[in-house]
Amino acid sequence: MIDFALHNAWLIPLLPAIAFLLIFLVFRPLPKVSAFIGITAIFLSFVLAVHVGIGVIQAGDQFVEHPLKQVVTWFEMSGLKIEMGVQIDPTSAMMLFMVSLVALMVNIYSLGYMHGDQAFSRFYAFLALFAMSMLGLVIAPNLLQMFVFWELVGLCSYLLIGFWWHKYSAREAAKKAFITTRTGDFGLLLGILLLQINFGTLDLMTLGEMIPNFQEYTNLSVGGLTAIAAILFLGPIGKSGQFPLHVWLPDAMEGPTPVSALIHAATMVVAGVYLVGRSLILFQTVPGAMAFVAFMGGFTALFAATIAITQTEMKKILAYSTVSQLGYMMLALGAGSLTGGMFHLFTHAFFKSLMFLGAGSVLHAMNNDADIWKYGGLKKKMPITYWTFLIGCLAIAGIFPFAGFFSKDEILLVVKEASHGAQFAGLYTLLFWMATITAALTAFYMFRMFFICFHGEPRDKSFHPHEAPFSMAFPLVVLSIFSIFGGFIGAPWVEHGFGYYVRLGEYHHPSVDWAIIIVSTILALGSIFLAYWIYGKKAVSHEALAQKFAPLYKISFNKYYIDEIYLWLIHNVLDGLGRALWWFDITVVDGIINGIGNAAKILGSILRRVQTGKLQHYALVLFAGVVILVLIMSFADTSSASLSLLGGVR
Amino acid sequence: MIGLEHFLILSGTLFCIGLFGALAKRNAIAILMGLELMLNAVNINLVAFARYVTTGILTGHVFAIFVIAVAAAEVAVGLALIVAIYRDRISVNVDDFDWLKW
Amino acid sequence: MDLSLLTIEIATVLLAIGVLVIGLLIPREQRFGLGYLVTIGLAIILFVSFGYYGINATAFEGMYYVDDFSIFFKQLILVAAVLVTLAATLYVKKMGTNYGEFFVMTVFAALGMMVLSSAGEFITLYLGLETMTISFYILTGFKKNDSKSAEAGIKYLILGAMSSGILLYGLSLVYGMTGTTVISEVAVKLAEMGSLSPAMVVGMVFLVAGFGFKISAVPFQMWSPDVYEGAPTPVTAFLAVGSKAAAFAALIRVFMIAFPDYSLQWKMLFAALAALTIIIGNLVAIPQTNIKRMLAYSSIAQAGYIMTGVIAANAAGVRGVAFYGMLYVFATIGAFTVVMNFSANTGSDEIRDYAGLARRSPLLAAVLTVCLLSMAGIPPLAGFAGKFYLFSSIVDQGYLWLVIIGLLMSMASVYYYLSVAKVMYMADPVDDSPIVVPAGAKAVLLITMIVTVFLGVYPQPLSVLANLAANSLFF
Repeated sequence: MIDFALHNAWLIPLLPAIAFLLIFLVFRPLPKVSAFIGITAIFLSFVLAVHVGIGVIQAGDQFVEHPLKQVVTWFEMSGLKIEMGVQIDPTSAMMLFMVSLVALMVNIYSLGYMHGDQAFSRFYAFLALFAMSMLGLVIAPNLLQMFVFWELVGLCSYLLIGFWWHKYSAREAAKKAFITTRTGDFGLLLGILLLQINFGTLDLMTLGEMIPNFQEYTNLSVGGLTAIAAILFLGPIGKSGQFPLHVWLPDAMEGPTPVSALIHAATMVVAGVYLVGRSLILFQTVPGAMAFVAFMGGFTALFAATIAITQTEMKKILAYSTVSQLGYMMLALGAGSLTGGMFHLFTHAFFKSLMFLGAGSVLHAMNNDADIWKYGGLKKKMPITYWTFLIGCLAIAGIFPFAGFFSKDEILLVVKEASHGAQFAGLYTLLFWMATITAALTAFYMFRMFFICFHGEPRDKSFHPHEAPFSMAFPLVVLSIFSIFGGFIGAPWVEHGFGYYVRLGEYHHPSVDWAIIIVSTILALGSIFLAYWIYGKKAVSHEALAQKFAPLYKISFNKYYIDEIYLWLIHNVLDGLGRALWWFDITVVDGIINGIGNAAKILGSILRRVQTGKLQHYALVLFAGVVILVLIMSFADTSSASLSLLGGVR
Repeated sequence: MIGLEHFLILSGTLFCIGLFGALAKRNAIAILMGLELMLNAVNINLVAFARYVTTGILTGHVFAIFVIAVAAAEVAVGLALIVAIYRDRISVNVDDFDWLKW
Repeated sequence: MDLSLLTIEIATVLLAIGVLVIGLLIPREQRFGLGYLVTIGLAIILFVSFGYYGINATAFEGMYYVDDFSIFFKQLILVAAVLVTLAATLYVKKMGTNYGEFFVMTVFAALGMMVLSSAGEFITLYLGLETMTISFYILTGFKKNDSKSAEAGIKYLILGAMSSGILLYGLSLVYGMTGTTVISEVAVKLAEMGSLSPAMVVGMVFLVAGFGFKISAVPFQMWSPDVYEGAPTPVTAFLAVGSKAAAFAALIRVFMIAFPDYSLQWKMLFAALAALTIIIGNLVAIPQTNIKRMLAYSSIAQAGYIMTGVIAANAAGVRGVAFYGMLYVFATIGAFTVVMNFSANTGSDEIRDYAGLARRSPLLAAVLTVCLLSMAGIPPLAGFAGKFYLFSSIVDQGYLWLVIIGLLMSMASVYYYLSVAKVMYMADPVDDSPIVVPAGAKAVLLITMIVTVFLGVYPQPLSVLANLAANSLFF
């Protein structure tokens, strides 16, 4: 079975693809069958992914340097050969496991959450399509295949955010997400094209060998390669919601909550991180690009965390927290650690999807009223949600022994190591402190939400919350188990842990830096206590605090006015430009096109008159043609250059 | 002495006569006859080449026999089609066959 | 002499004769199964033919090739024949009498095409050509009580016979100058002679004209719009793909094997003809109102695109021709299957009657749109990949001007293809009654659509076969 899974990993994305087609084409009128097909397909994919994972672990670090690659030629022509296929190595195996597990949990959860929705089947079809796209992206052996699935993933995100298309805000959010990420994708495509032009290949393995010695293969300068890396990075900035293209992600919460958990927390948004991880060698070769990635990541992490502090909707807080955590992952990659970035990606997927599903369960109980200030005292009414949510909060806050503790410390560690490096030491030192502050802020805003929602007295008596049904509670429990124990695979005391498999370059056994552990734990615990003090015990009025720091509060609450700035820019700059271009398009371009079109039409209706219907006219034309050809051939000097008048190379 | 070129001139002339018939005649059956002349010009060519160029090898003769057989089949189909269209248009004048145009 | 090399042809003959005899033996009302019998028989032959890749032998002392090139084109012809016979059942039934004979003639036409694509010698080539063409004369005039059909038949016959006369005259001149009718020996003899005699030049031009007629290259294309419009629609479909593809196969073999030393001369001719064909085919297609006639002009234009692969005169070009030829089979037969089922239901071929087809039969509208867009070369459909292969084969040979004409005219073609789609999707139907599509035709529609999309997304499988074909020609 393990062998079968390793050599037939292409089945993993194929199964959901089949499910999508079946649901979409055949079983749309039968919601129960659709759900069954969707869940079965993703379950089989999950089983295969588990076996792939076992196979990879059993093989030791054999696959790290020599991934198991199976490709078929997609199309080829002289000088260009594009392949598609499957590349199995520890990184992709880890992603396969994570994506299929979260997708499976979300599929099960949706049974309860989407129950009774009119478009239940369509929902499952899109979930299957999404799973197919994401799994296909994960196993891509080259950048072009990755790009194709990257776009498919974006399409699914668009479809699912706008799933309740009759809601104006959902439609707008879907458009916003699509357009914003497409902006970044333009850079990604450009970067991919530049790589193809300069290196002649898009294969990840080949690129990995060529790029470190790029001066041998190309005549690129260091600056040139840095520029390519920076352009390529635009794609991940868009998809992984990095500043300044993060604006779509919080709005994406208009989609159904399971979608938010699956796409906008655990899987799709990490595609950008994954892409950077996959092409990390490109960034590592040019330290400038590395510093750029690290800075964008570190800045986004802190930036989003400061916004999350003041938000009043559960899903918005979680969304900004996601942006912040994605920044963390980018920071780790920018510090040169594939292990750090991927490890946090792995653990984050579990506790963040857990919290989203928990938020969904709360929303479900509160009739979809999003304002957390109306909640309160949910602890007694929803014990399972309460306890699992607590686990998620502890995990993201980085409390020992929860999953986030290990991955967050790993990131702080690698950034600290980078700050002792030769280049950009000052920047990395700054980033280290930003990351540490972010960790404290994260613990604070998470427990702020936690205490407001679950503790105290119910603020609005009109709600009658109830515990989630089994189909929704079950995924919560499973995910909370992973949120508790998921970090152990990368714990310092494990001999061949996470870092042994998912790494770039030599294996370093994770060291234990007590200073970081103690500082970060103290900060986290302190922040939790502070949150308890303000929102749990209400020793200090939070309203008074907001009054006291009114300017800061307002800026944070309004998300630094980024959306407003974009709106202003779009209204005043882009619209003006657009209007000018529109005028040009209508009068000049259309004029020319229509002119040509009309000319072609007139010419066509004249030429058709040649076709008189008289067969002897046809015969005459035929023979006239023969005679003219003979004349041309006999007058054209058969050996001279006149023959190549029409082109042709001797 | 009659040589290859005489045969070629004869065949070329015959081809042109046949072509003229096919282009200038209005009666569909006469056109078919013109076509037959063209094919027979080819046959003269083939046999003459077989006699003068590849003496002793009968490729050209065989070719000519095949051409004759095929031409017979073609004319059979042609006459059948002319009968079919005559029933409809009460005419074998090809100038009347112009419903399909433009 | 190993007769097993001819298994495909022998099986085809047996199928045709067998169906003819069975059709005479069984009562008239039971003959409607014959169409399916022919489809199944051809499908089996198609399946068997896969075993013939890689043989690369000749039979009858070089007179008959059994190489990958000919197998590829035979498969193309068989695919076309299978799809046409499967799609045509309802149409032929409505046409009236002689149900069985229609399918028999179709199989004979396919046989002629196979011989044509395998011919290594002029007599064989001529026989294959005439077997195919005479079968088509009969098929074109098959609607006995439709005067358009008879007119198309007589036009095709007279013009076809003329073009055969020209081709034969050319063949006789080449035979006379070189003393051989075997294609590969012609090249040897020509190399010994060193230069082209005037008679050879005339012979070569006559061959260009003869083949140009079959592939309907301008100015030898005049017959095709009339014949395509008048002929029964399944015949039009088969004529448009099969006859054209087989003629291309023979043309490629004759010119690339017999006259490789004079490629500069004939390449110039074909380049001029291709440019004219692409321009005139597309321009005249624009004002057409009858969909069969529009497809006829579009198929003239398609022949122009395919000719660019001949001009390349190398393996890449032949690969392009083979690839494009195969996907053109699916796109064309898909489109004509829609047309024949539409006219079997409504009795009309006018584009304006297609108004609101999307509501009357979503399948027909979708297939027609996909097939037309593939012909226009819109990615990600197969036509795009095909044009990509064709044009890229001549770009580096100095024919950039031809590529530019091809691309501009492809853009123009989108106009008339999309205006059909517009009528189907935007306009309101006059008559709301749904269109009945029989199961066989439904299968053809689905196959053509799926293949057209699949080959656009993943062209490699067909590309591999086309590569085999091209390489076997240039060893």
